[in-house]
Amino acid sequence: MPLFRRVLNLFSRSKVDREIDAELRSHIEMRMEDNIANGMSPEEARRDAMLRFGNPVVVRERAAGADVALGLESIWADVRYGLRQLRRSPGFTAVALITLALGIGANTAIFSLIDAALLKMLPVKDPQQLVELKSVDPSVGLNDQFSYPAFKEFRDRNQVLSGVLAFRKLHDIDFEVDGQGALANGQLVSGSYFSVLGVKTIFGRPILPEDETAAGQNPVAVIGYDYWRERFALDPAIVGKRVILNNSPFTIVGVTAPEFFGLQPGERIDVSVPLTMMAQVRPDFASSGSPYDVLKAPFRNWLYVMARLQPGVSNEHATANLQTIFAESMREAADGLAGLPYDSPAARRSLLGTTLRLELGGQGLAALRQQFSKPLWIIMAVVSLLLLVTCANVANLLLARANARQREIAIRLAVGAGRQRVIRQLITESILLAAGGGALGLLLAFWGSRSLLVLMLHSRSTMSLSVRPDSTVLGFTLLVSLLTALLFGMIPAWRAAQLNITPALTQNARNTDNTSGRSRLGKVLVVSQITISLVLMVGAGLLTRSLKNLKNFYPGFNKENVLLFSINPLMTGYKEAQLIPLYERLLEHIGAIPSVRSTSFSVHGPLSPNFRFTSIKVEGYVPRSGQELAPIGIEPVGPKYFGTAQTPVLRGRDFTAADREGASKVVIINETMARYYFGDANPIGRRLSMPGYRGDPGWLEIVAVVKDAKQHDLREQAKPTIYLPLFQIPESGVTFEIRTAMNPSNTAAAILNTVKTVDERLPVFYLKTLNDQVDDSLVQERLVALLSSMFGVLALLLACVGLYGLMAYTVNRRTNEIGIRMALGAKRAQIAGMVLRETLSLVFCGLAIGIPAAMGASRLIASELYGLKPGDPTTLLIACSVMTAVTFLASYLPARRAASVNPMQALRSE
Amino acid sequence: MAKNDLQGTLDLLVLKTLSQVGELHGYGIVLHIQRASDALLNVEEGSLYPALHRMEQSSWIKSEWALTETGRKAKYYRLTAAGQKQLAEAEKSFEQLVKGIRAMLRYA
Repeated sequence: MPLFRRVLNLFSRSKVDREIDAELRSHIEMRMEDNIANGMSPEEARRDAMLRFGNPVVVRERAAGADVALGLESIWADVRYGLRQLRRSPGFTAVALITLALGIGANTAIFSLIDAALLKMLPVKDPQQLVELKSVDPSVGLNDQFSYPAFKEFRDRNQVLSGVLAFRKLHDIDFEVDGQGALANGQLVSGSYFSVLGVKTIFGRPILPEDETAAGQNPVAVIGYDYWRERFALDPAIVGKRVILNNSPFTIVGVTAPEFFGLQPGERIDVSVPLTMMAQVRPDFASSGSPYDVLKAPFRNWLYVMARLQPGVSNEHATANLQTIFAESMREAADGLAGLPYDSPAARRSLLGTTLRLELGGQGLAALRQQFSKPLWIIMAVVSLLLLVTCANVANLLLARANARQREIAIRLAVGAGRQRVIRQLITESILLAAGGGALGLLLAFWGSRSLLVLMLHSRSTMSLSVRPDSTVLGFTLLVSLLTALLFGMIPAWRAAQLNITPALTQNARNTDNTSGRSRLGKVLVVSQITISLVLMVGAGLLTRSLKNLKNFYPGFNKENVLLFSINPLMTGYKEAQLIPLYERLLEHIGAIPSVRSTSFSVHGPLSPNFRFTSIKVEGYVPRSGQELAPIGIEPVGPKYFGTAQTPVLRGRDFTAADREGASKVVIINETMARYYFGDANPIGRRLSMPGYRGDPGWLEIVAVVKDAKQHDLREQAKPTIYLPLFQIPESGVTFEIRTAMNPSNTAAAILNTVKTVDERLPVFYLKTLNDQVDDSLVQERLVALLSSMFGVLALLLACVGLYGLMAYTVNRRTNEIGIRMALGAKRAQIAGMVLRETLSLVFCGLAIGIPAAMGASRLIASELYGLKPGDPTTLLIACSVMTAVTFLASYLPARRAASVNPMQALRSE
Repeated sequence: MAKNDLQGTLDLLVLKTLSQVGELHGYGIVLHIQRASDALLNVEEGSLYPALHRMEQSSWIKSEWALTETGRKAKYYRLTAAGQKQLAEAEKSFEQLVKGIRAMLRYA
């Protein structure tokens, strides 16, 4: 490929020069040899050779010029000519640019999200060397947390790591500065955390190994740059500042560099403290002084562990070395169970069977990747299809234009331009269009991806994701632009290659035979646009209706008019014995607010991501042979919980305030659980026990069966669940559910005030309505439904523009024929009908291909659907009707124009 | 003859030479043109090379380093298919040119 070679030659000019020099030298020497053979003296021979040759420097320059510059010069000419051509038809250029900008912009926006959420490496030193430690328990599966003793063993005894760190996220820290509290997102870290990651502080110092020596001894904190900016307005006097974290004093010792956000993309860490401070910031979790002490118990897994491999150490080698350390640590864990209620042969077996695994950790923790990977790829597929529609549209535009330019091109060919040269010119124009569209698309993408991010993460204030124009995204845009140029640019180039000069010059452009080729190709393009649009519309329809189903299906509770908020009293210094009195006071005071109908609380709250499982024994129940006992979900709840949530009690009674310590121990089970263990028999009065749960509460009597309710998300299958009266087994950290008479938002302020009057210092988290909670749990589904609908509609619009363009063109071309038909007696309605029939035949053709395609494509998103099947006929019918109606409208104008042709004029213009 | 035409003529001479001889280096092309034209046509030897390189970039000819009979390294040129076509066109247009010029001369 000469062009490529010449551009390459630009970069290797000296090599080109050397080669030419060698060639010229060999010429002069051959002439000299011949001269000498003819009897000249060497001196004469040389002079004669030089004389005949001319100035070798000039010759070399000219030869090199032929090798290097020729191509570039003509490219520049092509570009200028192309720009002039595009300027001359601003309407065409504008439409093409906008269309391309939409297509390329949508792709870039989604890709930049994919890049930020799924592909990007952590902003730390050599992220590719990082591995994340995980353990595999054959009976439970993958576990990503380790005990503190295990981490210390890894740290002190490994021979394969150049460093290992541990951390634990700490959501919702009460961060008090100068008497002002506010929520912050924190983490507990090992002393090695910052040095292993190579993360620097811009002020003060990071947390160091000497900060992790003894429990409770190092009240130091490092804050993140963004938090420093938001909370302290970049105050440089920050180092040494004393603050209160969850009721415990700390000193800020440093501020991390701006680009560092933590180890989980999508999440921002505001404050880090040494993990030995666990008992100070989360006394409820730390269990200090008990066998469950987080810093001592070898069976309490709570730390994420990441490590940096030594150079040259393979993953297998490292795993083998760490496995031996881990196996010992698991033996200790099994021994540590002795005398605890958790202890059982099964529990020990499970600990001893656990093995270690190393996974690549350079991208950080996988939570966000797992949550958004599927929806983002679905949307990526959607925008790729949209890009195809875009290409078809621009190709159609170019086709019409190529027709108008036939004469121009024929003239250029006739006066001696090479066909290749003309094709190159046309391709240059396509590339210019794509480049312009790409640049505009980039702008659109940055604006768009920011809005998408808000949509994606709006439910979690602590989430943040940096979407910046980096080289990966720019490279992607460039690639997509070139690809589009290639796709739509082939068409005019191909037309030019086919062009027959003589008829193109001599005939009236409107009547040339070539136009039939144009409209055939145009029809193919429009049909494929309709096909793709239908696929997108069906997908969007299915996803939107799934979202609606998720929202409208009865979840087992009434989500209207409920307000939620959470408290965690142990965190602010309450003792275990004070919990029940506090809860009772809160229930009483909130219940006294006039607009409040009913109040209760539960540990997890409705649709919470947290959950708890245990295994149980049912009195008198013998498992059928081979029957696997499913783990049972547990939710401790307050009095009148089911009345407040409006979950129907099918048999028996709701919990009351009388179900407290000292009273007979009771439990409520859900329908699925009742069916699983008791079939059609009445379970009321039967007893069950949970030997592994919180120091074994003993036998509990079943007092009610309630309807199944969704616990964690709206998609889940009903799981066997038991509800415990929280007043009998007290614990801290509950979510209040308050049913109000009307819009619950109006009561929010009154509730906050009431909590304040009960205890001024008790922080309130997550105050929101249950409806918002439901919406938050559907953020993914909403994102996918919204985006796929948006892009589906866009594709439909583009298809309509394509169809309109084609029909308008056809009518224009057939003005003569229509004139003749009218002169022969055709009615205007017949003419309009003819155009509409042609449109419909195209649309039906598109639908005929599109329906099976859509049914196939929708099977790929089957797992995202809820309450309907992939090939849902209603959705198909709706999508087809919408397509037909809209495309019918698009052809209305051309049809009217055809009907209003004046036969006299049409014939006279012949 | 005008300069532009001279260049076209030189291309024609080179292409014709290569089509007759097959593979040849620059010096050999010069010698062949001299011999074949009975020493009527004398090209300035150096000006051959820019033309050769331009034709190579247009893919009319291909080059390859090889040894001469006397064991010297030289760059050999060979006609490509595109060069064959170009030669035919150039011959035709040269014929036209000559015909035109002849007609002009006769007319006076």
